[in-house]
Amino acid sequence: MSANELRQPKRASAALFKKLGMDLVPDNEKVAAAIGHIDDFRLKVRSFVMAMETCVKCGACAEACHTYLGTRDPNNIPAGRVDLIRKVYKRYFTVQGQLFPGLVGAQDLDLETIEKWYSYFYQCSECRRCAHVCPFGIDTAEVTFIARQILYWLGIAPQLHTATADAILRTGNHMGLTKAGIIDTLEFLSEEIEEEYDGLKVDFPVDKPDSDILYVPSSADFMLNPRTLFGAGQFFKYVGANWTISSEITEAGNFGYLSDQTRIQREMVTRLLAEAKKYGCKKIVWGECGHGWRAAKMYVPTLADLVAVKQIPITHIHDEVEAYIKAGLLELDPKRNDSKITLHDPCNYARACGHADNMRTIMNAVVPKGAFVEMTPNREANFCCGGGSGILFDDPGMYQFRIEASNKKAEQVRETGAEILCAPCSICKAQLYPMVKEHKLPVEVFGLIDLVGHALVFRE
Amino acid sequence: MSLFLGQILPYIAAVVFISGVTWRIWRWMIPRIVHNITLSPFPGSWSKAIVWILWQFATFWNLLKFDRPLWLGAWFMHIALFLMLGGHVMAFYTVGLQFHVMAPGIITAEMSLAMSDWIGTILGLIFLVALLYLLGRRLANEQVRAISSSSDYLHLFLLIGIATVGNIMRLFPEYHLGYAPVREYLAGLFLFNPVPLPDHSLFLIKYTLVMILMIIFPFSKLMHSFGFFWERWIVNRPYTEPARGLPGARLQLHK
Ligand code: HEM
Ligand code: SF4
Ligand code: SF4
Repeated sequence: MSANELRQPKRASAALFKKLGMDLVPDNEKVAAAIGHIDDFRLKVRSFVMAMETCVKCGACAEACHTYLGTRDPNNIPAGRVDLIRKVYKRYFTVQGQLFPGLVGAQDLDLETIEKWYSYFYQCSECRRCAHVCPFGIDTAEVTFIARQILYWLGIAPQLHTATADAILRTGNHMGLTKAGIIDTLEFLSEEIEEEYDGLKVDFPVDKPDSDILYVPSSADFMLNPRTLFGAGQFFKYVGANWTISSEITEAGNFGYLSDQTRIQREMVTRLLAEAKKYGCKKIVWGECGHGWRAAKMYVPTLADLVAVKQIPITHIHDEVEAYIKAGLLELDPKRNDSKITLHDPCNYARACGHADNMRTIMNAVVPKGAFVEMTPNREANFCCGGGSGILFDDPGMYQFRIEASNKKAEQVRETGAEILCAPCSICKAQLYPMVKEHKLPVEVFGLIDLVGHALVFRE
Repeated sequence: MSLFLGQILPYIAAVVFISGVTWRIWRWMIPRIVHNITLSPFPGSWSKAIVWILWQFATFWNLLKFDRPLWLGAWFMHIALFLMLGGHVMAFYTVGLQFHVMAPGIITAEMSLAMSDWIGTILGLIFLVALLYLLGRRLANEQVRAISSSSDYLHLFLLIGIATVGNIMRLFPEYHLGYAPVREYLAGLFLFNPVPLPDHSLFLIKYTLVMILMIIFPFSKLMHSFGFFWERWIVNRPYTEPARGLPGARLQLHK
């Protein structure tokens, strides 16, 4: 297949890379540079080496991957995807690949393969369903992270991810919201809540000194999912929290994690901890965002070389709501969410962050008995929405791919007969809105905190 | 030739196998487990994590759950393989009397020999059938074929070769070779006190194939047998959740 037949997202321009302090690597140096990077990674990251060296090509992962189910392209079989790098790894870094390349399936690296990397590692949603299914636990997402990092260093990355990285450096959030814009939107949301909930006054404090809690919302909530912000505000109001949002890090997501972990992801973590310190926060509470929550929960402790990491615990708003529900401290009226409802387990919550239980505890407390129907498979075995890892591209070829990659999800949702699809993750929501449209599903998409806020009963 | 096959190649095979495996594992130990990428639900402690890993190892749980047809071939093949490897070691120490040695009051020496024969034969057949099944699956299943390279088939052919020769030696009395001469020969190898190879062509073929297997082992995907533990050590590790509760809030979890 030649490069121009490959499905690839629109690339970031040289000028955009320049803005981020990066030069494009010229074509005649790309191969050597990429091999050099693989060499570095194999000496640093064990999960990468084990993925390179443990696979037996049993194929158990094929039917586990929604991208293969949607496209039937062998390069979308997790083991086939990894092979795009493994063949090269074998050729340069294993005895058998140096001596008998043809026999063991080893290949020299060339530009065409690099183009395939750009295509297939941006079709992987880093959902880890393959790791969940593989008899060894081989985690393709680990390989995808590294492939995307290498591509980024070569100057190959989607416009979407790179422009978002630029927005992060400028504003601290993906949408490029300024402090004035943030305050404006939040004031508007306060008014909306007041109108909808009989004069209920919910403030959204921004950059408030001497706050105990730093809440980190997804910037997408400001435009696409305002009800998720409603819910968080209502919850904090209900428990009387002394909280704030920082205008410097109004972002629960972390696109750095999805394309440039060494710089952009680190930048966001550093900002986060500095902001928490600045406002005297004793705890950071995360908003609804799957990959971003994984990046915070599982990566911040090892990524940030800052003392603040040891001083300020980070939890998810679901964790806190669950604890308050279990302690019997929230009065909830499930009848307000009286529709048949199903839950999409965001991959990062279910397979990487251990949230399968807490989401269900919350769900069962905020909807009437019998209204909640599970989709199958669910929990850790759930399928990705098809947009994971920020592959929310709008260029026609990639948009078509997104819809194909959500075939499995659409089928799962349809089988439940639900009217509401609860998907407590910004990327899931952004993917599911078009999925619902293209697959003509009769459902509305909401977050989970949305439902909590709606069910909270305020007295006095 | 028989000097090379009998007295030189075995040492080469043993050295390549042991040092090769050690070298591969050494290389795995150089890179770090950078971030905690454990799969949830998280094991609460290391002991729980280890029990889970051993459970996966003993049952091939993931295959059982997600790919039943593959489980059928792979689990029976591996179980037969492990038991036969154990059987070979036992046979070497006890020349087929292992069951007598385990339960001397109940099982006589003759019974033990008969059991050893029967169990060995049955396992050998299971092993061969399972391997043929896996080969058939690899050829018939479009997805598996798409990700296979020549070496994936060659490993299977090699194992099928070993299993076939072994089964012929078991099933046809005219090709049978008792435990004793092999034991004598191997003892000679271990003690560096050369004893000539038993003069038996099928044994020679099987023995050579096994030595080839040992030599390619460290440079092949057969390293998955060790890789299993190294990979699972990364993806099944404990994680402790931070405490819940909002400091400074009016409603507190614990009064
Ligand atoms: C520990 C857990 C293990 C798991 C989950 C596992 C899994 C597998 C799987 C899925 C296959 C592929 C079958 C196929 O060809 O389609 C395989 C092949 C094989 N395994 Fe394992 N294995 C394990 C341990 C071991 C160990 C300890 C050994 C040997 C001492 C071993 C030896 C083999 C051999 C010889 C093959 C056939 C090779 C081939 O197809 O090329 N395995 N294993
Ligand atoms: S399930 Fe695991 S071992 Fe099997 S082909 Fe996929 S990645 Fe390789
Ligand atoms: S991480 Fe998800 S999308 Fe990527 S290969 Fe594995 S199953 Fe497929």
